[in-house]
Amino acid sequence: MPATARRRGGRAAFALLPFGVLITAFLLIPTVSLLWGSFHDSRTGAFTLGNYSYLSHPLDLVPFRNSLELSLASTIVGGILGLLIAQAIVSSRRPLIQEIATTFSSVAANFAGVPLAFAFIATLGAQGLVTRQFFNVTHFDLYIDGGFKLYSVLGLTIVYAYWEIPLMVLVMLPPLQAMKASWREAAEILGASKWQYMRSVAIPILFTPVVSSLLLLYANAFGAYATAYGLTTGFVPLVPIEISNLINGDVNHDPGAADALAMGLAVIMAICIGGRVLLERRSSKWLASR
Amino acid sequence: MAYDPLLARIDQLSSSYTNRQIDRRQFLKGLAFLGLSLPAINLIVTACSTASSTAGASAMVGGASAAGLTSLIAAAKGEGSVYQTGIPPEWVNYQAIFDLWKADYGITINGTSTEGEYSSGQELDSIKNTGKPDVGDVGIAFAVQAKTGGLSMPYKNSHWSDIPDTAKDADGYWCCNYWGAQAFVVNTDAVKIPIKDWKDLLDPSLKNAVGIDGDPTKANDSFFAVWSAAVGNGGGVDNIQPGIDFMNQLQASGNLTAARASDTNIQSGEVKVAIKWDYLGLAVRDKAAGAPNISVTIPSSGSLASPYADIVAAKAPHPNAAKLWQELIYSDDAQLLFLKGYAHPIRYDVLNAGGKIPADLAAKLPSPDLYKKVTLVTDITKITAAQTTLGTGWKIVINS
Repeated sequence: MPATARRRGGRAAFALLPFGVLITAFLLIPTVSLLWGSFHDSRTGAFTLGNYSYLSHPLDLVPFRNSLELSLASTIVGGILGLLIAQAIVSSRRPLIQEIATTFSSVAANFAGVPLAFAFIATLGAQGLVTRQFFNVTHFDLYIDGGFKLYSVLGLTIVYAYWEIPLMVLVMLPPLQAMKASWREAAEILGASKWQYMRSVAIPILFTPVVSSLLLLYANAFGAYATAYGLTTGFVPLVPIEISNLINGDVNHDPGAADALAMGLAVIMAICIGGRVLLERRSSKWLASR
Repeated sequence: MAYDPLLARIDQLSSSYTNRQIDRRQFLKGLAFLGLSLPAINLIVTACSTASSTAGASAMVGGASAAGLTSLIAAAKGEGSVYQTGIPPEWVNYQAIFDLWKADYGITINGTSTEGEYSSGQELDSIKNTGKPDVGDVGIAFAVQAKTGGLSMPYKNSHWSDIPDTAKDADGYWCCNYWGAQAFVVNTDAVKIPIKDWKDLLDPSLKNAVGIDGDPTKANDSFFAVWSAAVGNGGGVDNIQPGIDFMNQLQASGNLTAARASDTNIQSGEVKVAIKWDYLGLAVRDKAAGAPNISVTIPSSGSLASPYADIVAAKAPHPNAAKLWQELIYSDDAQLLFLKGYAHPIRYDVLNAGGKIPADLAAKLPSPDLYKKVTLVTDITKITAAQTTLGTGWKIVINS
């Protein structure tokens, strides 16, 4: 190897050092500690498989079922609406609208936690503004007559959609903007119908960014904690809430079992993020070459 | 320790008083002459009285002798600060007690904004892992856990003999400071039926109206709400299951809401009947000031009370300040401040017998008759048994 190339390699490795430190401190070490903790009794320190007992108890799997359902539902709602809105923004061709929509999306995508929970209790709670106004107009009580509850998987889906939609808009804007008008024109000149253009050109190109965005939404919903807890105080068991119970709980205090649950969460996260990375690699081939 | 003429003089006065060489009046005058604040004088005098009345008995771990107390104050001042965990200013009037502490001793209190809101489990983790906290305010189960885990150190405050045996560790590793009982906190503007006992909560007019204060597998408040429900439904301290069954019934009736019985949700009407600690209910009643009207009542078939306990961290960086903090919170002044914050101070009976409770304060509190069916829970084995039953039982309630 020539000396210059070796030197360049060395310099590149040096530039990666801060990143390596960051990954080690905030990803590798915590993961290894989780893994170790999940196989050891938190009281005696002895090796055990007992922390993974949730895998064999149907009732202990409920948080996983709820989290999977909630994440799936909010991903579908957020994904479809977010994609439509993003396309509308791109099609509008008005820079001001695009600017405003992007800014709003960035803010809304990050509005979460207890403030968001309060905002929804104030609007859609049993005594919420919308619930009461709706009753005043229709004499139909969403809670008593409709059986609706904000504090349920359905209610949480609505709340999660509040940030999932703008997140989808934000991540889908770049690929949609990268779709070249000349592709459509070329297809039309060759006699393709609108549907044929969609099927043979747009969908194949956008498939990977859409799926990878959905995976991001899914992971985002699965890991969310503060909003759900602020809203339901644990009445809807979710994996992150269950983990928090085991770490902070006055009643059930078992860090080992929390580590084991967190490993389950980490596996789901790894699948989502890994899938996204693989897909990104494929789609960037098309969309990066402007 | 460097020679301190003031301390030496206090020590001299104290020993003269303890040995009956001077009378109480001379002693007080002497202390006042030294420019000490009134609460500090009270502390010293109380300590000396205890010491002189139990003369000959074995010395307590600390604080009970005047000489011990005066040097404790000086040593605490020398340390300059005390670090607390799990003692939030808005909790049972702690802000006023912080103010009293600062006025009396001028010692800084740290940790209030960072660790004040910690749960008991987090407090013990903080003591174990950071080594920063000096004192903590924990649920009783965690006080026992702190002792067995070697996380607390023994210290018996000057009022040790006032405290019921069930409410303190025989070796001094923890001591209960105040207690609260589970109560119904009712928004009387929204709820038109009288809520007197547990069965009233099942009324069909209360759809989505009844709430508890958090996840009972996580928060002590709602854990005791579920356990107290057992008292009125055929169970009790020995058997939490009827309480879990009652909550299940409440959930099935559609009356139980997942909205937390927080102050905000009570005031907005999202939770119309909250089952929570009486002191928190009384506080939100005052805060709401008629918007809405709130009444606080103890279930007529009974409920449970749980004390909070104080611990001094085993490796407290400021051990003397931590011990002085114990002296302060068991003093008459601080105990009355707890009562003003609607917590039942552990020395309530002593204060009451001594006529030390102001009439205007007594008027704001629920009648003592309501509390006759309240049981104070301090038996850790029973708490553990109830927690274990709840751990699995609650999953059935929320998943049904």
